[in-house]
Amino acid sequence: MTRVLIADDSETILLLLRTRLEMEGYEVLTADDGVEVIEAMRAADPSPDILLLDAMMPRKSGIDALRELRAAGVKTPVLIVSAHQDQMDAGAANDVEVSGYITKPIDFEALFARIAELTA
Amino acid sequence: MLTGLAVIGVARFLQQRQDFEDATARSYQVEIAARNRLAEGAPRGPASATIVAQKRARQNLRDEIDSETRDTALLVGAGLIAGLTGAALLFTGLIASMRRPLEELVDASGRLAAGDLETRVKVGGLSETAALGEAFNEMAAELQRRAGERDQLETMKDEFVLTASHELRSPLTSVQGFAELLMLERDKLSPAQADTVEIILDNTRHLVRLLNDLLDLARSDAGRLTIKPSPTDVSSLVEDAVRTMRSQTEARGQSLEQRIDPGLPQVSVDRDRIRQVLVNLLTNAHEYSPDRASIEVTASRRDGAVEMAVRDDGPGMAADQLDHIFDRFTRGDAGLTQHVGGTGLGLAISKSLVELHGGTIEAESSPGAGSTFRVRLPAVTL
Repeated sequence: MTRVLIADDSETILLLLRTRLEMEGYEVLTADDGVEVIEAMRAADPSPDILLLDAMMPRKSGIDALRELRAAGVKTPVLIVSAHQDQMDAGAANDVEVSGYITKPIDFEALFARIAELTA
Repeated sequence: MLTGLAVIGVARFLQQRQDFEDATARSYQVEIAARNRLAEGAPRGPASATIVAQKRARQNLRDEIDSETRDTALLVGAGLIAGLTGAALLFTGLIASMRRPLEELVDASGRLAAGDLETRVKVGGLSETAALGEAFNEMAAELQRRAGERDQLETMKDEFVLTASHELRSPLTSVQGFAELLMLERDKLSPAQADTVEIILDNTRHLVRLLNDLLDLARSDAGRLTIKPSPTDVSSLVEDAVRTMRSQTEARGQSLEQRIDPGLPQVSVDRDRIRQVLVNLLTNAHEYSPDRASIEVTASRRDGAVEMAVRDDGPGMAADQLDHIFDRFTRGDAGLTQHVGGTGLGLAISKSLVELHGGTIEAESSPGAGSTFRVRLPAVTL
């Protein structure tokens, strides 16, 4: 089964994502911020097949967590979820390899299609 | 000074005339005395000599005064001419000293009106023009200060809209997401419950549209609306937009035709953004036109540009409405269009987007004759 690690500082959004993803048949791991993402990546066995990270989170943002993971040689595909399109326009994550961006509110059909494509 | 010379000349002339009169009178007295002596029997020789001498002296005096009069007249004439010239020069100088500062003020006002708030004038010249210059500079400084405050407020407003739209997105994501979740289990809901969730979803989507539009406008105002243009086929762009609208127009029995001239050059556009403009124009044509109306999209070459036009045979607009059609929150007559669900921002955003591409957008309409919106985009030159 495809394992998805989702990270968002909003519990409601995490619940929504988990529910929809589980309904689609994915196994879901969750994290509240970037620090937990790093820990989850270390602890998870087997490692997630794809990461879905909120761009802006307290303690450590999704972008910063991604930067650390890439520096540590992690090649897992990552989708960045962001409410702020400007951040993308400005190319805040230009220095790290991102598989794609998802904007809020989430278009779930498009999200499922991206995940299927990236984990095929 | 030269005028003074003329005055002195006239005075001198009068004095000389007086001297001439006096000398002539004296000469006559001497001659009369000599004639009296002659009549009393004085020796003829000396008296006659005196008479002749006096006659000659008077002749000399007359010659002298004539020549003096000529000189004086010349002097007075020269003086008058010099005086007039001097006065004219003085007057011209006076006008020039007023005119230069005034001309500078006129120029500076023009620059100020054109938006150059840094404009100041050199204060100088007559006290009146100097005061005018000072007043102008004070006014310009005040305008500049207020413009600065206004810019600051604009920036704060833009930042506020950007932040607010970001903060609103998370709760909206939850509302929309959970409502969609409910709709996934529609068969477990009663018809009334399903309708309720449908209403929540409709309104959430409207709110999201409004938020996206506001965000686009705020970005546009802040100069942060960016496009990523690449050479794009016009026909696929139009077909894409038409496909998006097809089910909505069909639901109301409206015809939606596309007519794309063959062999059109590509346009250099941000595909998503120009698609957004076309969908917006088609949505307006669809929403503001009655059931079974005709909507047509055409694409044709116009000089170095490609023109895409969206035409409908709907109710059209009056001239006063047409003038403000690209303003924010301008919408068609509410009485006619109660079912219209737009944000009133679509055309304002479309205009910003088209202009960002170096294109133009214009509307043509009259009541009862439908509306046509034309978008012109520069063609890719090969």
